[in-house]
Amino acid sequence: MSGMQFGIFTVGDVTPDPTTNREPTEAERIRDTVAIARKVEEVGLDVFATGEHHNPPFVPSSPTTLLGYVAALTERIILSTSTTLITTNDPVKIAEDFSVLQHLADGRTDVMLGRGNTGPVYPWFGQDIRQAIPLTVEHYGLLRRLWREEVVDWEGKLRTPLQSFTLAPRPLDGIPPFVWHGSIRTPEIAELAAYYGDGYFANHIFWPSSHTRTMIELYRKRFEHYGHGTREAAIVGLGGQVFIRPNSQDAVREFRPYFDNAPVYGHGPSLEDFSSMTPLTVGSPQQVIEKTLGFREYAGDYQRQLFLVDHAGLPLKTVLEQLDLLGGEVVPVLRKEFAVGRSPDAPDAPTHQSLLRARDEGTGTEPQPQQAPQTPED
Amino acid sequence: MVTRIAVVTAGLREPSSTRMLADRLEASVREELARAGGEVESAFVELRPVGHAIIDAMLSGFPAEPLEEAFGKVAAADGVIAVTPAFNASFSGLFKAFFDVLPEDTLADMPVLIGATGGTERHSLVLEHALRPMFSYLHAIVSPRGVYAATDDFGSRESGAALGERIGRAAADYARLVQGCGPHRRRDSFTEDVAAMERMLRSGSS
Repeated sequence: MSGMQFGIFTVGDVTPDPTTNREPTEAERIRDTVAIARKVEEVGLDVFATGEHHNPPFVPSSPTTLLGYVAALTERIILSTSTTLITTNDPVKIAEDFSVLQHLADGRTDVMLGRGNTGPVYPWFGQDIRQAIPLTVEHYGLLRRLWREEVVDWEGKLRTPLQSFTLAPRPLDGIPPFVWHGSIRTPEIAELAAYYGDGYFANHIFWPSSHTRTMIELYRKRFEHYGHGTREAAIVGLGGQVFIRPNSQDAVREFRPYFDNAPVYGHGPSLEDFSSMTPLTVGSPQQVIEKTLGFREYAGDYQRQLFLVDHAGLPLKTVLEQLDLLGGEVVPVLRKEFAVGRSPDAPDAPTHQSLLRARDEGTGTEPQPQQAPQTPED
Repeated sequence: MVTRIAVVTAGLREPSSTRMLADRLEASVREELARAGGEVESAFVELRPVGHAIIDAMLSGFPAEPLEEAFGKVAAADGVIAVTPAFNASFSGLFKAFFDVLPEDTLADMPVLIGATGGTERHSLVLEHALRPMFSYLHAIVSPRGVYAATDDFGSRESGAALGERIGRAAADYARLVQGCGPHRRRDSFTEDVAAMERMLRSGSS
């Protein structure tokens, strides 16, 4: 696998198809999601990531159950999340779920952590959204230790203490799943990723690229500040959103009703305005290639590109066609073009194998944030 | 010293009595500050052209470029003059919507001169029960004297002169307020949030 990984991230929404008013059942949506994940492998992409939601109209409330099932049906792709809620999930349970998944998938897994911004979900899990950032900091601090230390004694403010706790099973080969921190607009999350030397994933698709540029610049600068390496050595992932047809007018005509009625941005800006302000690309494979290659201008050489392709009521058949086009015509060109002029300092996208190799060769740079300089450089 | 004034005006028609009031307030404030030896740079923010963008920002969560420019003008100002037509016993929905999507804290510590227009003088208290409380909530420093202008004020010579006097007095008050407040310091909440996070990470991890 070359320097970059390409894949898709799904929100898992059950949305009526606005062109037929047909709404899939939850069972259908879940089966379709599995079909999509298998297709990701079939067409030669690298990553399948699922969101986590705990309210209708979404189905993925138990991501590692889904990913465990997909693991059994695939052989090559990395199974990830977008995002796993570090605030409302108990860190011990996250550690357990992903440890088991790692073993089942033979290391083909990583995790993207996020806060979650659906207020009502917090109390369903005994938490308080006003504590979202402190919960993120405390839970993640604990999660790291659970994956790295055999016996954990821990005390915090927002969870019961742990005494002599040992995670079972231990992470595969003693290597914790690689962690990405995902956010749409919160600079604190970029700071968190930089502090620990983890990956930073900018959602990218709901906000203008000028905002993504600011967040990634912050993350890279702070990654260096905390002593994890140069800015170029930071691990960056980006979201993207595409709808592709061989002919760009066909793509626009077919996608418009889905765009106009989509959850999140529907009934707001026009497709044309949204396309010019955000990464959304509705058009031919060549247009998608050009716009995606442009991300590098503000994100630098990066490691992971995930596309959203299966939302807003798009039928399964259409989504699978999108994956055929992505895998067949778009991503092979992106792999080739992104490799051209790629900085030698830009790391390859991390995998279980690469982390294992780094550790065995003693080149692993397990972050030591406490040793970072105490004075901010700016 | 250059004082930067942003004039936000929510008039809908052309010509707009709201814009006319805004122009006269701006001219009067400029005159007062010039008399004190200051220089004024004014930037006008007409809300009608960014009306769609304001609603889009509400729905999508981010501003399109023309609206972001408008936000920038307000954020860069040392003082704001805000004028709205009175609709249904309050400010217009467009006026309120603009301040609803304006980034938080933009108006904190900002000297604001309020103005409103309406068909009759019976709506004049809209300044006190709608505009003033909203700007107070936003932590702006609202000048004690606002100006309300009814259709009549633009008509007869007597009431026109009276409006001129009210504008003059409000502008004089406001000019003193702006001078007293000095240059408005723009808060950088992005950097503040990151710094707070660093403190939390350093104290939280062991």
